[in-house]
Amino acid sequence: MDRIECQWCKAQNEPARTSCQTCGAPLDKKNLVSDSGWAEAPRLRDMTEFRFSNSTCQIEGEIVPVAELALAPGDAVFFEHHVMLWKEPQVPMSAMNTGGGMKRTIGGMPHVISLAHGPGRIALSRDATGEVVVLPLHPGHELDVREHAFLAGTHSISYSFVRIKGLANVLHGGSGMYMDRFITNREPGLLLLHGYGNVFQKTLQPGEKVMVEPGGFLYKDSSVTMNTFQQNLRTGMFRHGMYLAEMTGPGRVGIQSMYVHHGSE
Amino acid sequence: MSTPQASYICPYCRMESEGTTTTCLRCGAPVDVRIRVSNSGWAEQPAIRDMARLRFNRSTCQVSGAYVPVAEFNMHAEDSVYFSHHVLLHTEPSVQLDALKMAGGWNRRLAGMPLMMLRASGPGHLAISADHPGETLAVPMHQNQAIDVVEHKFLVATTNINYMWERSGVWFTTGSGDDTEYHYPLGQMMDRFTAVDSHGLLLLHAPGNTFIRDLQPGQHIMIQPSSLIWKDRTVGMHLHFEYPRGQYWFSSARWQAKSVWLTLTGPGRVAIQSVFERPETVGSVSGGSYRTTQYW
Repeated sequence: MDRIECQWCKAQNEPARTSCQTCGAPLDKKNLVSDSGWAEAPRLRDMTEFRFSNSTCQIEGEIVPVAELALAPGDAVFFEHHVMLWKEPQVPMSAMNTGGGMKRTIGGMPHVISLAHGPGRIALSRDATGEVVVLPLHPGHELDVREHAFLAGTHSISYSFVRIKGLANVLHGGSGMYMDRFITNREPGLLLLHGYGNVFQKTLQPGEKVMVEPGGFLYKDSSVTMNTFQQNLRTGMFRHGMYLAEMTGPGRVGIQSMYVHHGSE
Repeated sequence: MSTPQASYICPYCRMESEGTTTTCLRCGAPVDVRIRVSNSGWAEQPAIRDMARLRFNRSTCQVSGAYVPVAEFNMHAEDSVYFSHHVLLHTEPSVQLDALKMAGGWNRRLAGMPLMMLRASGPGHLAISADHPGETLAVPMHQNQAIDVVEHKFLVATTNINYMWERSGVWFTTGSGDDTEYHYPLGQMMDRFTAVDSHGLLLLHAPGNTFIRDLQPGQHIMIQPSSLIWKDRTVGMHLHFEYPRGQYWFSSARWQAKSVWLTLTGPGRVAIQSVFERPETVGSVSGGSYRTTQYW
């Protein structure tokens, strides 16, 4: 029997399905790709449901979407505690020790990452107009995400954080000092991000470069290198510097269309 | 004998095209829908369809996204656009970026406007997006057409559109002496765009929904001042204060509580947005630009 491949996450689906059971992307709509190769993140239909492990996730709303997770016994998700919208009373909560407390304080990152365990329901949402981006991670995958952009990760994903290399990148990159790093080991995992505005993704070939406004950077495969590029501009006697993030492939890069501009003087 | 090509005039941008595509190649409005006009004469500007392409000179602009749309330009080597540097989202290394100096730097700094613009020249792709939710509006301009745009609405324009800025001329004061406060319901400055050599493309970004209306000569309409997006240069404007009827003749409602309106006078086109800031209504008006008053 023919199966339908999801254009976003490449998972195989039964022919009768209208949305991907792994990431929720509509299967009956064409992937929207711009002339230069940026693909729009799939706009998840209201009440779209998809599965991870033995649990389900339902996306509700479109302007500031809510991810409602029905956790099965033995499953858990982690998140920054302020994204919790509501939960059922019986859902047990615990804290994940992230390590590096002093570094996280300096980097303005939360000390405590909350863990919600099944069984029960919990709902998460961020604080501004945007899209929930669902990224299923295959075993052995590494993904770097802009700090404060992740909504939730499933228990099979290892969470850590990496310092952005290079002083120029930290000072002018506009992405902060640290990036969240998500790694899967032997099991697949599911990562939910919240991108402000609309989210676009491009897959870079080895050596291919694209310049991105640092505030617009959302996520990248760890194989993509990120460096700060200074664009010098002159107006009469005055010199101005503007900083862009230079992304070099291979791998995926995700950007958000609403951002705070950083790094010009 | 050649068959004349069917021509289509877009009701939204007033530009002529072949009309053979589903969206207007100049402004992105759908060509296969009836214009939606309210009973009072406001036409709803349709959002540009996802991935719709606009054509200008030898280049194209593709608009994608729904909440904070992205305008992605595929620039020909001989074409260029300019924009404020903070709206640049991504660019290919082949696109040349340089500074476009603005006149009147000191006044621009005082008014909180950008001191310089970036000019991007092809070949290559670059993308522009605003920093708040809303609609991207395409305003294709005929040769010699001039429009006035409220500050901070401008997104990007082709370099054959001349950019100037001037005082809005709409202001009032409250209080007196050292306590005098100046109010600029439209902002101190307005951007003026003029297509000089040929027709050009101007993109604006506005929150909420957008409505347009063509005013006849001498026709008036009153709007919330901060809802104005742009107007034809021929449209006049002044402030109008309305004071509600109070219970007593000496009630402060007679002189302090008021509605502040912007009266627009035709001929010409105006565009407004459904999201606007709450106007400052407290304080007795002590002076300002030309204004009219109504006591109920």
